[in-house]
Amino acid sequence: MKAAKVRGLKREAPLADSLQRIVETRLRELWAFMPGVQDPRRVSELHDMRIAAKRLRYCLEISTGLFGPYAAVALGRAKELQKVLGEIHDCDMTLPRVTALSAQAQAADVAAVLAAAGQAADLDPALLASSAPNVAAQRGLATTALYLRARRELLFARFLDLWLQLEREGFRARLEFAAGERPVPAAPSHDLHVDAVPADLLSVTA
Amino acid sequence: MASARPIDGLHAELPFATAAAMTVRVRSDELFGHADGVLDTYDPGRVHDMRVATRRLRAVLEIYAPCFPATALKSVLSDVKVLADGLGARRDPDVQLEDLQAFAAALDPQDGPGIELFASRLRAEQEAGNEVLARALEAATESDLRSRLTALADESQASVSV
Repeated sequence: MKAAKVRGLKREAPLADSLQRIVETRLRELWAFMPGVQDPRRVSELHDMRIAAKRLRYCLEISTGLFGPYAAVALGRAKELQKVLGEIHDCDMTLPRVTALSAQAQAADVAAVLAAAGQAADLDPALLASSAPNVAAQRGLATTALYLRARRELLFARFLDLWLQLEREGFRARLEFAAGERPVPAAPSHDLHVDAVPADLLSVTA
Repeated sequence: MASARPIDGLHAELPFATAAAMTVRVRSDELFGHADGVLDTYDPGRVHDMRVATRRLRAVLEIYAPCFPATALKSVLSDVKVLADGLGARRDPDVQLEDLQAFAAALDPQDGPGIELFASRLRAEQEAGNEVLARALEAATESDLRSRLTALADESQASVSV
């Protein structure tokens, strides 16, 4: 999946401002997959969403110290999202390979049994034990396919839960806010004494 | 997994292109630092570390893309991708075999022949993967990928230094 172009990036612009633009674009990109990927059959979109989460994650890896504190939390969330989507993708890639291998093994057995039958008027079931080398393998392949199907469903449910959690905690808005914050380097403690600050400036409601 | 080396001196007000130059230099060194012994099949950790370094390098090349000359960047990205694919061809079967082994340990022994049939395919891919990786490493050396990455970083730095 080609990354969406980030507008307004300039070589001489401050790093944090540039990364802010990139994060905002990557967030839009990530959010665009919803609600479509709530359908578990959207295999390629789920894969593209994983790539989008990965892009956001790598951008946050560079940015966390330059943005507000929520960026570090967001990095962890992006990693979680990328991980669960990656595991879903692994199931989506492996399951067709296992079922194809099973079909291939069965086709080879059919050919072997037919060859053993020769010109017989009907097929002798006893030939299955003597001439079909892959029969024993079918059980393990079926078990593997079953496991992959069930695991994929479980992971997809986890993905939906995680997304709901992100929405509930206001992930996107909080990260957009954090991307606009520029933490001031810590001042030496003798520069600022809380006692010296007027009480109304310390009050949230002031 | 090797953690990413910090980029010393990055700060919010640094010009984007200066940050690009600093980051690409470190990530490029990191990548080639893992290249020694990567074809040693007895130490799959090296392949993993180099693959992670390739991902990080690709990511920074994409993030800082506007800082680099477009044609040179396209060619470097394409070569880094070939290297990443080579590392993936070698690493993926390793991981799948490890997972399959762990999965098989929990199964009935009657499932063994099927698991073994799948594992034999993965082992064949593992062997082929080493050849793919060897070719990708050779291509990176022949195309002088490392120097081209350095040149990208230099050009990015120069674009804001004048």
